[in-house]
Amino acid sequence: MDVVLGIRLKDCTLIATSKSVTRGISVLKEDDDKTRILNEHNLIAFTGEAGDTVQFAEYIQANIQLYSMRENDIELSPKATASFVRNQLATSLRTRKPYQVNVLIGGFDTKTGKPTLNYIDYIGTQAILPYAAHGYAAFYCMSLLDKHYRPEMELNDGLKLLEMSIKELQTRMPMDFKGVIVKVIDKEGIRKIDV
Amino acid sequence: MNSTVASEYSSEIHTTPIEHRFNPYSDNGGTVLGIAGKDFAVLAGDTRQVEGYSINSRYEQKIFNVGDDIVMTANGFAADGSALIDRFRNQLKWYKFDHNNKKLSVASSARYIRHLLYSKRFFPYYVSTLIAGLDDEGKGCVYSFDPVGSYEREQCRAGGAAASLIMPFLDNQVNFKNQYQPGSDGTEKKPLRYLELDEVLELVKDAFSSATERHIQVGDGLEIFIVTKEGVRTEYYPLKRD
Amino acid sequence: MNTIASQFNNNNRNHVHHEINESNGGYGGVDKLELTPTMTLPPISQPTDFLRAHTDDATNPDCKIKIAHGTTTLAFRYKKGIVIAVDSRASQGNWTASQTVHKVIRINPMLLGTMAGGAADCQYWETWLGTQCRLHELREKERISVAAASKILSNLIYEYKGMGLSMGTMICGFTKKEGPTVYYVDSDGTRLKGDLFCVGSGQTFAYGVLDSEYKWDLTEEEALYLGKRSILAAAHRDAYSGGTVNLYHITEEGWTYHGNYDVGDLFWEVKSQEKSFNNVDG
Repeated sequence: MDVVLGIRLKDCTLIATSKSVTRGISVLKEDDDKTRILNEHNLIAFTGEAGDTVQFAEYIQANIQLYSMRENDIELSPKATASFVRNQLATSLRTRKPYQVNVLIGGFDTKTGKPTLNYIDYIGTQAILPYAAHGYAAFYCMSLLDKHYRPEMELNDGLKLLEMSIKELQTRMPMDFKGVIVKVIDKEGIRKIDV
Repeated sequence: MNSTVASEYSSEIHTTPIEHRFNPYSDNGGTVLGIAGKDFAVLAGDTRQVEGYSINSRYEQKIFNVGDDIVMTANGFAADGSALIDRFRNQLKWYKFDHNNKKLSVASSARYIRHLLYSKRFFPYYVSTLIAGLDDEGKGCVYSFDPVGSYEREQCRAGGAAASLIMPFLDNQVNFKNQYQPGSDGTEKKPLRYLELDEVLELVKDAFSSATERHIQVGDGLEIFIVTKEGVRTEYYPLKRD
Repeated sequence: MNTIASQFNNNNRNHVHHEINESNGGYGGVDKLELTPTMTLPPISQPTDFLRAHTDDATNPDCKIKIAHGTTTLAFRYKKGIVIAVDSRASQGNWTASQTVHKVIRINPMLLGTMAGGAADCQYWETWLGTQCRLHELREKERISVAAASKILSNLIYEYKGMGLSMGTMICGFTKKEGPTVYYVDSDGTRLKGDLFCVGSGQTFAYGVLDSEYKWDLTEEEALYLGKRSILAAAHRDAYSGGTVNLYHITEEGWTYHGNYDVGDLFWEVKSQEKSFNNVDG
């Protein structure tokens, strides 16, 4: 029941992930960060099978950084990053023990100056979307975002929209997910925002 | 484990049920359709009856004039279908005996059929039921039912094996779904109008000859019941017999 | 008044009628369910397993009798009364059985019930509830409260618990002493009073929009639009919901019908007016 939400705004992308880690009927951690920084302008957020998630995200993180080291500090674009991640998941799916990880990739394309949001699930479905969510959160948030989202929104509007979505999840989801960590990806890079 | 209680041979009692699976249902194929017009209604059905890949009969009637200018069909499992229609016809007879030959409206018939179907909610009739006739204002009407008695008055409805082939055709040709005025660039809908009887009969024939081509359980013959203020009459057209 | 009530009792049919029904081997021999019709059960030890094997497409996809499912319905209370909005799609597996189902059941001029789950179960028992409400009026010379009406229904449903009934319904009405009232009643036997409910496969999507805009002081126009808009949201995101939106409003004068809106047209109208649905081109 993890919450992973992403919203693409006018000149940045917002990623929110829930802070709780639960196993069975216990909450094991309440300040977890379900994201990894891939490079200066790309952030991956993940949910799925326990163990697989962090292993996969850090594997991707390592490979994206390796690319930059080999290629003379060239940064992989959001589109290329997403394609790489999708390819890894699609390859893994055809092995004996596939990674069961669903991800969102928030990015900022420094070439075009545009923020991006990529949705990828464990079977290798990839979509570029204005807003996206994984798991049960999608059932509540997608209709809300269908109504309230505007493509020209600034960071402040985006944060208000996010707050609205989180409030809805807190009222309607059966489990307390202990709030969210919010990160912004824009031309300056990636930073955490206190909510 | 078919254990018995040790006793005299003649009064041995089985303590466990013998049956393993109780399956009283079968599917006899066939398809039916009803269309309501301004001052008429039609109920049509093919006349083939099947069981598995075998054809039981090339002419088995499944649409009936149950009296009071109401026509009825119950398509699916033929035995349940006839049982339902027999029950309704019988009740209609008793209703007329008890109420000085009063005419039963189609709306009341529909409500009664719901009760017949729902009384077997936990052991359902495996049928899709349609009735057609003229309403209190003389307009054509068709009522359709699910197996346990939820019902709705509609302009048209296909039921049975080829319902999924015929229903989209009817949506398009009777209710003009997804049809727009030429030249309006898909902004202006084709206005609704009642179809004439000859137009409806052509649609019915097209629907059944097409369903015959693409559904193995449909074919042999097409029987159409037409209800007008003059009464009920039937028409028969042959369908492909392969 | 009991003479009127007794006409609706099973004991009081004429004997020919009685004989016919007897021959059908009804379940009604035991007069446990007062004023309810007779029910035929299959002649086997576990009727519920039988029913599940033949009608539950979730556990047995090849089952022959498919019961219509899938819905979004909502009802909410606000200052001026109650808004009820529903979609109109009935699905049997992947087949859209109907796009024109009336999922609001007019129990009587003051009471409305909504329909989610088994179409026949809701239709049948909510019209039955209408007769029970009328009998209450004749006996007590007073209109039935929404609390009492919903309890008659939930008690009935509870008697059938475990038999396979499937209903998720909101009983809505306005009475002098209660004001605008909404009760949620489902086939588990749950009965809850509340301000706002969404029921059906598209409930979460409807909640998403409804919660974000709902407040007690809505105007009638705003409230009706919000109801309609929430069903549209669900129709857009939930494949098992769609067709058209039916809108109702309840005040102390009783209910009024506020129209039928085709989702195909409504979507583009709302999108261009609201500048929403930015995930869709056009």
